[in-house]
Amino acid sequence: MTLCFTRTIHSLPFKHPRLSLSNPSKRPISSFLPHSSSQSPPLLHPISPKPHLPLFLRPPTSSATFSDLQKFHSWAKGLAFSVGSKFLDSDNGPDTDLLCREIKWLLEDAVEHTSILPHLGSSQNPNLTGSELIRLKLDLDDLYSLWNQRIEERRPFQYIVGCEHWRDFVLCVEEGVLIPRPETELIVDMVEEVVSKEKGLRNGLWADLGTGSGAIGIGIGRILEEGGRVIATDVSEVAVSVATFNVQRYGLQDKVQVRQGSWFEPIEDVMGKLAGLVSNPPYIPRDQIPRLQAEVGKHEPRLALDGGDHGMDDLLHLCEGSSIALGSGGFFAFETNGDEQSELLADIMTSKSENRFRDVKIKTDMAGIHRFVTGFRR
Amino acid sequence: MAQSLLKSMFAGGYSKLFTSPANRRIPSPTPHQFQFQLRINAFSTSSNSSRDFLSLSDELLMDQCEMNTFKASGPGGQHRNKRESAVRLKHSPTGIIAQAVEDRSQHKNRASALARLRTLLALKVRDAIDLDGYTPPLELLQILPAKSTIRGSDVGSQIGPNNPKFALGMKALLDLIYAVNGSVSEAAKLLGLSTGALSRLILSDDSLRMEVNELRASKGMKPLK
Ligand SMILES: C[S@@+](CC[C@H](N)C(=O)[O-])C[C@H]1O[C@@H](n2cnc3c(N)ncnc32)[C@H](O)[C@@H]1O
Repeated sequence: MTLCFTRTIHSLPFKHPRLSLSNPSKRPISSFLPHSSSQSPPLLHPISPKPHLPLFLRPPTSSATFSDLQKFHSWAKGLAFSVGSKFLDSDNGPDTDLLCREIKWLLEDAVEHTSILPHLGSSQNPNLTGSELIRLKLDLDDLYSLWNQRIEERRPFQYIVGCEHWRDFVLCVEEGVLIPRPETELIVDMVEEVVSKEKGLRNGLWADLGTGSGAIGIGIGRILEEGGRVIATDVSEVAVSVATFNVQRYGLQDKVQVRQGSWFEPIEDVMGKLAGLVSNPPYIPRDQIPRLQAEVGKHEPRLALDGGDHGMDDLLHLCEGSSIALGSGGFFAFETNGDEQSELLADIMTSKSENRFRDVKIKTDMAGIHRFVTGFRR
Repeated sequence: MAQSLLKSMFAGGYSKLFTSPANRRIPSPTPHQFQFQLRINAFSTSSNSSRDFLSLSDELLMDQCEMNTFKASGPGGQHRNKRESAVRLKHSPTGIIAQAVEDRSQHKNRASALARLRTLLALKVRDAIDLDGYTPPLELLQILPAKSTIRGSDVGSQIGPNNPKFALGMKALLDLIYAVNGSVSEAAKLLGLSTGALSRLILSDDSLRMEVNELRASKGMKPLK
């Protein structure tokens, strides 16, 4: 499961300018609690665009008859069947089976009472005449056009319903924010493991850099003890507003503070004090972007995916900065593109970092890919 | 759901499992061999019975499992947007496999797969019981209707099939029915119930009914309806 790398490598291809941390503002950490200080944190985004309400949270303002909903259901299935394995063969996209499951999930979010859903597919329902009104959270027309977008434009299912189920959370997402991936759930598991062993990590200050929807930051916020805090940052305005929304939805605003800015810039005030630093930065090599699955390449923000020529621009920057950002004994975990990137990063952190890190390990994801690099600041 | 899962399990060549001291899976393809296994099992002191498995916490039961997600090949991570959150659990001591795909989150699918595994362990792993001086365990008393004459008032209200504790009771009931070779009337006597009342209990849960009827069929008895 875990591998330790001690192989040495040659040069450090750092592309980013050296970190400039000359002006730490020394703002006390407690000032990020919304109510605990009159000082408003200068880096907190001032006027966030309002995120879209995901379908499942909308009030049921519309309705359709049971038989009209049945018609939609069979039309949507028809489209799903027309896809067959076409998307799968072309770019490893969804096949009919997965699309049919998505229809079920779409309807689960769209109707007020999900108990009628199992009856949609069956032809005879002794207790249903077809004229019953089913309360919906959107107009039937919109339901048609959403499913059409799903198939015709390959718009990601999660953008259609406005949410993703991730760990035991339902996180709101929309265009402009990366849809959190199942692999990334493991970062929270790793954090859970280390904080269970060390109290200093349990009630310390953590950072999730490039938080996107807020997924990792929220996951960690849930685990930490009283006193533990997370700063979740992103350079993207949409991400900051969506992450803020998600943090508030889970009532974690006292634990997780969202800040806008590029990598270490918004956490200058806490450099050297972090108990933990985690990130899933953009890591796809630039030349692979045009060949991505349509749902990803055509719809998800390039800012969240493009990691530069070899995909490691941001990872290398983070790896370098983490030696300054982490306090002694602090834990780090980074997600990578897999095997080669992990090996390179682990090498750098073991043998090219002047002995500043210890216990550098590579961890695999569920598919057995060497996905993560973790370790501690000495 | 449980029904279709069982069917697919049998289609995949699963057979009845017995716990043995070595915790090995013992296939029993014919009713004849089946009985033989049961007899052997009756004399084995099982150190790790299915009751032990079922009383484990989720975490500990999970520790006995190999978990697989059905991820296709490919780079994964940021490259991929597919809600393939299917979870497949293989319980290493028995080889029983439970899976769940219908939910969007891996977390929920893991929970459903684990619940399904508990049901399968209850249904598929038999422990031998001694009929001499048989007294039903508490978990079996708890799923019996209140009119059972051996069920004290301290047992509490009847636990139904939707309660997670039902699996343990169902397991004890199946152990008893196997011990009396599928005779519902004999089992009913030992449980202080009329034959009709016990039949109704068995029929109240699809997987329980299927399991009992399968045993009865193997003994040339008529299925309960
Ligand atoms: C792959 S996404 C990960 C999002 C989220 N952490 C997750 O795991 O779902 C990378 C994130 O890094 C952010 N990002 C890109 N460049 C950045 C920068 N210079 N500073 C901070 N965040 C950046 C993107 O906006 C995006 O949200």
